[in-house]
Amino acid sequence: MSDSSPNPNPDSAQKPPEHGQSRRDFLRTSAVVATGVAALAAALAPLRDLKDFTTVEKFLQKYYKEMTPQDMEKVLDRIRREVEAQYGVRPTVQDLKPMNGVEFVYCLNLTRCIGCRKCVHACVAENNQSRDPEIQYIRVLRMPHGSLDLEKGEHNYDSEQVPEKNYFYMPIQCQQCRNPACVKVCPTKATWQDKDGITVIDYDWCIGCRYCEAACPYFARRFNWTRPTIPKDRLNPNMAYLGNRPRRQGVMEKCHFCIQRTRAGRYPACVEVCPAGARKFGNVLDPESEVSYILRNKRVFIQLKEEVGTSPRFYYYFDV
Amino acid sequence: MNSRSKTSTVLVVLTLGFCFLACSFLLNLWGHPALRAPVPLVDLAFIEPSTARLSAADLIKAKADTSNFECYTCHDKKNPVKIKYDTNEMIILPTEHQDLKMGHGRHNRNNNCFNCHNEKNLESLQTRDGRELKIEESPQLCGSCHGPTFRDWEAGVHGRVSGYWNRAMGGFERKTCPSCHDPHSPKFPPRKPAPGPHALHTAVASSPAEQEHH
Repeated sequence: MSDSSPNPNPDSAQKPPEHGQSRRDFLRTSAVVATGVAALAAALAPLRDLKDFTTVEKFLQKYYKEMTPQDMEKVLDRIRREVEAQYGVRPTVQDLKPMNGVEFVYCLNLTRCIGCRKCVHACVAENNQSRDPEIQYIRVLRMPHGSLDLEKGEHNYDSEQVPEKNYFYMPIQCQQCRNPACVKVCPTKATWQDKDGITVIDYDWCIGCRYCEAACPYFARRFNWTRPTIPKDRLNPNMAYLGNRPRRQGVMEKCHFCIQRTRAGRYPACVEVCPAGARKFGNVLDPESEVSYILRNKRVFIQLKEEVGTSPRFYYYFDV
Repeated sequence: MNSRSKTSTVLVVLTLGFCFLACSFLLNLWGHPALRAPVPLVDLAFIEPSTARLSAADLIKAKADTSNFECYTCHDKKNPVKIKYDTNEMIILPTEHQDLKMGHGRHNRNNNCFNCHNEKNLESLQTRDGRELKIEESPQLCGSCHGPTFRDWEAGVHGRVSGYWNRAMGGFERKTCPSCHDPHSPKFPPRKPAPGPHALHTAVASSPAEQEHH
């Protein structure tokens, strides 16, 4: 339309031939079509912002539990390539399996916790969560003394110093339930409970329906609303397939007891950073472990929201 | 002829529509959604797993400067230390030890250096039942009064443990009491908390008036 014919003669003066189009008709039609296609392309401009296209390789990937070790090695290699391309760091990505005779339990001493939130940020650093927007697995609730009413908890406290008078602090994260509601609702079986008690997520199998987020009574699951942003120099290159490898937009994630550390025998990051020694982790099937000692000797008083029947592996206790 | 002109009308309308959409996207007529304020990266001090303080055992292990524990550069071995008290029976610290804050317990029964330090050898410690201990063996000393806490500590339940939960796969480190507690004033010191969570949806610049309104 914009490039109108240079011919000054009106349309009627030209006599169209019987057998086909005139040159003018042809030019006009093609101009219209060209403009239309160009406009359509421009109108689809917002699609330019789409990233993370699924590759054929990724699309044809098998379900985690059906993969052979060779399949898994290929997948791990793909992840290594992807991470290196995006962050410029060659990571060590492993697929760590649960150990025999191990069931993980976590104990948190409410007498000792001072509410400093170091665990929150050590967790973010260890597990490659998005920094902006923030994704954090641990929430620290500041609770008034004399009550365990979670409604009175406040997690945005911004005090000059902690601990404050007349408050105690209650960190909440994934409770690694024995009877996990999130696993029951998952329509794609992208999340399941392993035999060492960790409820894991296969980020490549998650479709982002967020049913699990709705089912969890502890608000422990997080959704990647945007593409996660992690500064290159803060990426933790020690990764596990079911653990802290970088996630993509549109998948769920949550605390997995630092699978990349704990299935290699180490303590989780939150345990090692706690300045008050309030966090204890170990194998409950080992009678010598710290957690067995706590469950035997301490006033373990709560599985959070015991009445909903999820039976957490996360215990809160008091000293004395 | 009629149907043909109809077709071209439809095409023209569509083209104009697309042109409008294209222009609006390219010229950004509708603007971007309001940007969130960027979330600052957390200070690395909140991530590193240091303890509240450094104990003598930590310093010796790190081969750091332990000159603070060499008492006899100032004290004389032949001249036993005499503790001075004021009229309230509170200890008078000499100027060289003014940095100490005496606050062990809510009573003043610890108002005596030699409850823990050994008066016969200032560079060592002593329990009330007369055992002499090296300066880095303080848990034994603390445990001689704080029995249940010592029992917990030995089980790895009181205080910080790092390394491997699976002792067969690697070593672990248990911190000694003075790594967190100042022996002269053992209450765990308060500290500044790390920043709280930043909400996904926060107004960029909400004026104070607006905040009051909410």
